Order: sequence, then C-alpha cells, then structure tokens
Amino acid sequence: MALAFNRRGRRSVANGAFILACTLATALALVFLVAILASLLVNGVGGINLDVFTMSTPATGSRGGLLNGIVGSLAMCAIAMVLAIVIGILAGTWLAEFARDSTYGKVVRFTNDVLLSAPSILVGLFIYWLLVRPFHGFSGIAGAVALALLAAPVVTRTTEDVLKLQSRQLRESGVALGAPVWTAIRAIMWRAAAGGIITGGLLAFARISGETAPLLFTALNNQLFSLDMTKPIANLPSIIFNYALSAYDDSRRLAWVGALLITIAVLGANVIVRAFARERKRP
Amino acid sequence: MTATPPAAVATAPEPQVFESFVEAIPQERIKLETRKLSFFYGKNQALHEVSLPFAGNSVTALIGPSGCGKSTLLRAMNRIYALYPGQRAEGEVLLDGENILDRKVDLTQLRSRVGMVFQQPTPFPMSIYDNVAFGVRLYEKLSKPDMDARVEESLRRAALWDEVKDKLKSSGLGLSGGQQQRLCVARGVAVRPEVILLDEPASALDPHSTAKLEETIVELKRDYTIVIVTHNLQQAGRISDHAAFMYLGRLIEFARTDRLFDNPRASRTADYITGRFG
Repeated sequence: MALAFNRRGRRSVANGAFILACTLATALALVFLVAILASLLVNGVGGINLDVFTMSTPATGSRGGLLNGIVGSLAMCAIAMVLAIVIGILAGTWLAEFARDSTYGKVVRFTNDVLLSAPSILVGLFIYWLLVRPFHGFSGIAGAVALALLAAPVVTRTTEDVLKLQSRQLRESGVALGAPVWTAIRAIMWRAAAGGIITGGLLAFARISGETAPLLFTALNNQLFSLDMTKPIANLPSIIFNYALSAYDDSRRLAWVGALLITIAVLGANVIVRAFARERKRP
Repeated sequence: MTATPPAAVATAPEPQVFESFVEAIPQERIKLETRKLSFFYGKNQALHEVSLPFAGNSVTALIGPSGCGKSTLLRAMNRIYALYPGQRAEGEVLLDGENILDRKVDLTQLRSRVGMVFQQPTPFPMSIYDNVAFGVRLYEKLSKPDMDARVEESLRRAALWDEVKDKLKSSGLGLSGGQQQRLCVARGVAVRPEVILLDEPASALDPHSTAKLEETIVELKRDYTIVIVTHNLQQAGRISDHAAFMYLGRLIEFARTDRLFDNPRASRTADYITGRFG
C-alpha cells in the first residue's frame, strides 16, 4: 500500500512539474510576442498619418510617407503568392496523390524540405544570377520570383500534408462514383483540404512579407513611386532596413510605421482567412 | 543423408487443400461473375482462383475471417484497385458477360455501373444536395427540376429523405454517422448503377442506424444487384439471399444463405459459422 501510494505521489508531482514547465515555456514565448507587438505599437502608431499612405519616401529632412513601399510590397507579394500557390498546390498534390513512395517522389520531397529552410539570402543571390545579371537590371519581377521561391515550398509542404490527412476512403469514393481521378482530386480532395491549404498559403505569405535579404539582390529599392515591375521597385522591408539605421528621427519613425504595417497585414490576413474558413466549415 | 529423418520432419504439414463447394445459379439469373479470379498486392497473392456467381436483384454476402480476401474481391469488381500501381487481378470478372478486367474497359464508365459504399461514411465536403448530385453531374446534364427529382428519389431510396428534406443545402458533414452512410448510399444510387458493392457498411454504425441501413439494402435489391462484405454473421443471415464463405484468399463455400448457415457442407464453413474460429 505504502509503495503504491509513494508511486502515485511521485507521479502526481512529476505530472504537476511537467504542466508547470509547459506553462512557463508558453508564457516565455508570449512575453516576447507581446513585447514585440508592444514596442511596434508604441513606436509605430504615433507615426501613422495620411502622409504615410499618400506620399512616397522623402528626401532627407522633408515630408514623406511609405506609399511607394506599400504598393511595391503589395505588388511583389501578390505576384509571388499567385506563383507560389499555383506551383505549391500542384506540386503538393502530385506528392500526396501520385508520387507517394516512389523514388522520384522522395527526391522531390527532400529537395522541397531543403528549400523550405534555405537561407533567404541564398535565394536572393540565386535569382540575382538567374534574372538580374542576364537582363542587366534589378526588377520587381525578380523580387517577386525570389519571394515565390521562398513561399512555394511552404505551400507545397502543407498541401501535401493536409491531403495525406484525408482518408483513403474519401479519395476512393469519388473515383468509385465514376469520377476521373483528376475530377475527384479537384472537386473533393482539394475542397476537403481547403482549410489546411489556406493556412499553408497564409504561412507562406507571413514568411515572405517581411523578407529583406532576397529583395536586396533583386528588386533593390526605389526612392520614387513606380508600378513598373521590370524596374527596381520600392518595398517595405528594404525601406525599414535602410531607415532603421538612419541618423534622422523622421526616417526611423517611418521604419517603425513600416514594420507595424507589415505586422498588421500578416495579422489581418490571418484573422480574415480563419474567420472565412470557419464559416465554410460550419455544417 | 541416408538416415531416416526424425519423425517431426517426416510428417509433412497438411497440404493446403481446401474443399470447395459452389452451388449453381441458373445462368440467366447471373448478373456478375468471377472466374478464376486471382489478385496480387505486389508479390502477395490475396485471392486464389475465385469463381463465384452473383445473382441479379439479390443480395450476396461475402463472409470470412479478417484478411480472407472479402474486401479484395469486392475491390476487384469495380477495379478501384487500379488506383494503386502494384495491385493487379488475373482471371475474369464478367458483368453481363463482358470481362471488365479487359484493358479496353473504360474505368469511369465501369464505376458508374458498379457503385461502392465504404466502411467509413465518406460524405463529400459539400451540401447534402450536392453530395447526391455529384455523380449525376459527371454523366448527365439534367435540368434543375430533373436534378431535384433525382436527388429526392435517391434520398428516398436510401431512406434518408424525411430526415434531410428541409436541410438539403446544409453540409453533408453535419449529419450523424448513420445518416452519412445512407447519404453515401443515396449518392451511389443516384447515378443509377446496376451493381452496388458494400464494404462492411454498417461496421461503424450503432445498432439503430445499422437496422435502418439493412432495411435500405433489402429495399434496394429490387432494382440492383448487391454484394456486401460483412463481419457480422447475423447481418448476413438477415439480409442476404446468397452467401460466400472465404478463407485465406480462397472460396470455400457458396450457397443460398439459409442453406449455408443451416447445413454447411465444408467443415471450415461449419467451424466459422458456429464460432469455432475466425
């Protein structure tokens, strides 16, 4: 009896200690998250005014905003996400539905995993070599392709994972009704996996929206407003990178505002898409 | 080398001889038939020359212990196995006399003639209406009223209409397990197949839902040829007209259900249905 009691006592202590450790770890993560958000808000909110959205980056000492950077970042992220989603969903579908355990499939999966954690500066250099040097110029297109190369592996991986979570019987039941495999995947499997695929897209968007390194080699930056994707184009991360180290208060304030805007965009996209996904799921 | 081997080796294991009894069905009643059907998962042979008739407008139950090849046999009859490279069938499966294992057979066409319901309910992630209409839209262009009528007819046949008629637009995922399974039956019936294959359709359902599903199956045999795999011998006894007992990938006995249960001819069948093994 005593032994049993001791053992039970020890177990409940161990259990309590484990839960405490988990709670502390979570709290630690939350502390940093809140600290980051708080410093962004404190330093960024004050700088938000109409100029930010209506004027381009200023010459030192004059009035200005972030319009060129906002538009440039949006344009490049939009193109990058379209490329990444098309390539990622198709590749992920191929991996989950067709390649399975074939050798070629394993090679592609491994390569994708490597890309997933590739340093973004390498991706920037690679696109520099591929699209910037041969065409003698930095461009918004090159920037978008570099971002797409970072985003596509995320979409590929999540698409594959969520498709594999679907039951084999669901996969078969579309085909068993006489649907061609392609139709069954498109109309049933993608729909069943939509929530996960959307989450993958969001993760990818979150990853690329703040990337600076790959843009330094590809899109470069532009002091002026431009929509020409074949020329260097302004973008928020580069502006933040340049202005954060500036000696001028005005410039540093704009850097904080830029950082806040990126955070709000990622956060907002998350909230909107999650609400949307929940709405769809409701029976 | 010349010494007499020890006794334990001298008595070789009993060769795998299986007595097999197949009761004949009049040729004109046969809708579907396997002839010397063998099946392979890669190098593993799961079926050994199974020859089995299935009468039209009746329910045939496939029974036997786990891993005996019941589901494999079922999966050969709509060639759903063709999704997986490495799985192949040899022999013949005749549907109205035509060998559906022939390379020239159009698989989507075949599967619209031979429907299938799975062990787990698999409603598609769409509305109840769209679930039922899904298969129909693949092959027929129906006007809205015609489609409405088809959906209603199919849901009625699956004994689900009264429960869902007011919420056709809501998701099929919101139904209970038993309702979901009947939705899958309705979905299969909607494309007007000739044969319906059921792979342990009630094993994930509670007794009440099972009873409803069984009623549905008995209703359906008026218009369809039904083959059902089941682990539940009482269920096989209740709903099937013929039953086939399989063991280790071989057909042991096929007969009218009452005869198979009351008076099995193979000793293995008797052992199984009396619960002595399996």
